[in-house]
Amino acid sequence: MSEAQTLEVEVTAIEQVTPLIKHFKLSPVAGGSMPAFSGGSHIVVVMRTPTRVYRNPYSLLSPPHSLDSYEIGVRRMEESRGGSHFMHDQVRVGMRLEIAHPVNLFALDKIARKHLLIAGGIGITPFMAHLEDLHSGRVPYELHYSVRAPEHAAFLPRLRERAGERVRMYYDNAGQSIDFDGLLSAQPLGTHVYVCGPAGLIERVTATARDCGWPDSHIHWEQFSAPPVGDAFEVFLARSKVTVHVPPDQSLLESIEAQGVEVPYLCRGGVCGFCQTRVLEVDGELIHNDHFLSDADKAKRNTIMPCVSRARCKSLVLDL
Amino acid sequence: MLVTGIKSKPVYAPLRADTRGHYHLMLGKGMGNVALMRVLGELESAAPQALARTRVLLIPAELSATPAAVSGPPPESPAAAPPGDFAALGLEELRVFTDVPTLLRDFRALLEVALMGTRLYVAGPESFIGLAMKIALEFDLNKDEIRAEELGTLARRVYCIHCRTTTEEVRTNIVRCMDCGNWLLVRDHYSRRLAAYMGVMVDAEAPGERPEIKEVFL
Repeated sequence: MSEAQTLEVEVTAIEQVTPLIKHFKLSPVAGGSMPAFSGGSHIVVVMRTPTRVYRNPYSLLSPPHSLDSYEIGVRRMEESRGGSHFMHDQVRVGMRLEIAHPVNLFALDKIARKHLLIAGGIGITPFMAHLEDLHSGRVPYELHYSVRAPEHAAFLPRLRERAGERVRMYYDNAGQSIDFDGLLSAQPLGTHVYVCGPAGLIERVTATARDCGWPDSHIHWEQFSAPPVGDAFEVFLARSKVTVHVPPDQSLLESIEAQGVEVPYLCRGGVCGFCQTRVLEVDGELIHNDHFLSDADKAKRNTIMPCVSRARCKSLVLDL
Repeated sequence: MLVTGIKSKPVYAPLRADTRGHYHLMLGKGMGNVALMRVLGELESAAPQALARTRVLLIPAELSATPAAVSGPPPESPAAAPPGDFAALGLEELRVFTDVPTLLRDFRALLEVALMGTRLYVAGPESFIGLAMKIALEFDLNKDEIRAEELGTLARRVYCIHCRTTTEEVRTNIVRCMDCGNWLLVRDHYSRRLAAYMGVMVDAEAPGERPEIKEVFL
């Protein structure tokens, strides 16, 4: 994604749907319709603040067949680096925002015989769009949605309207939790499981599914985690011939972008592999935080995902 | 004039036990049963309790209609793993069949109720593997869940692209379609959905001019 491909949208509605989640409606500035997308897609919202630029990915939760606007849900993160606070505190109806075109890294498998959807908290958003497709299809599905307490169950009326009893709720405060073993050991052949939510939930589902003999090709997950913080370091971009300072709370990718150097990206969460960049030299340690590179790749010390990974080093030279 | 080097031609490898699987479903025909016996031994030593979650559906060698395998072991090698050998293993279930359609009917019924975590093993002639794979595909089983080893005749199922009839047990490079009567060149172009190789009219441009017919799929 390069900046040239962003589009301008107007915030046409904002609703506080839970104590932590705001629901935004984004409409085309010049009228007409938004670009088409498929269930599971996300956009990247570009937030320009006086001090820095944030680019945060958010799943589209609106129905894929309705393109007069996009809808996203934003959870206020306690330890926000600024992006979610900006969306919650600064964005008002009527404001204009820049977004990158939708990209889908969390699509439903087209030949699955059953879909098992598992959401934790804000992880419900991609499934909102999926349900629109599942609703009109013939493939059986069930949605297991876990939240802290009833007041945190974002979008539940809409889910019930679409999926009825196929939505099963779990409230932490009532001591309810998903029976992962029971659920994953009793699914018919040809089931695909999709999980979106906190890292712990994703790990639990993927590990349990593997223990039950599920092949990885039937296990799908998505998580938009904020880039981890770390020590400040300097990086030299060999082709652009610029030195970039990476502060502790800014990602390598964001720091490079702040210097006007474009790096192709899609997910900004260490999953898709799109921003993979060649490391030409490193005197120190690369801190790989992505889920894309294999351990063998990481050991080679010649490539990095700047969206989430950092370095603890005296010097780092990238092929950019 | 055999057309080779086509990527859709399936490639099989010797069966290995997949101990990550929770349930094991095995199909064997003829000499393929020897491979199943080998993989069951492997499974037993890696995870003894796995045999109690293993179902085997087989057609014994002596009942199998296929002639002696070219690629199989020589006649003096250990017999073709008779059903009795399987019965002694403490499997969850052993079913012995005399024909492929009945075995496949039961296979389909088992897939209907099978759970995620099932691994499928198929061993036997290529056409038998293809028919089993065709059904497995309908249940969204993919390459991570299926293993197959080719043992036995290379006779092909050939799909006539002109009249859409499949001719069975084809051993020659050129065959006459059993339905429309066209002379078909048997290509390596394989359809997993049809479990058959494509047959295209060999003398379409010069009627009657056909290359020499040779037995190539023994």
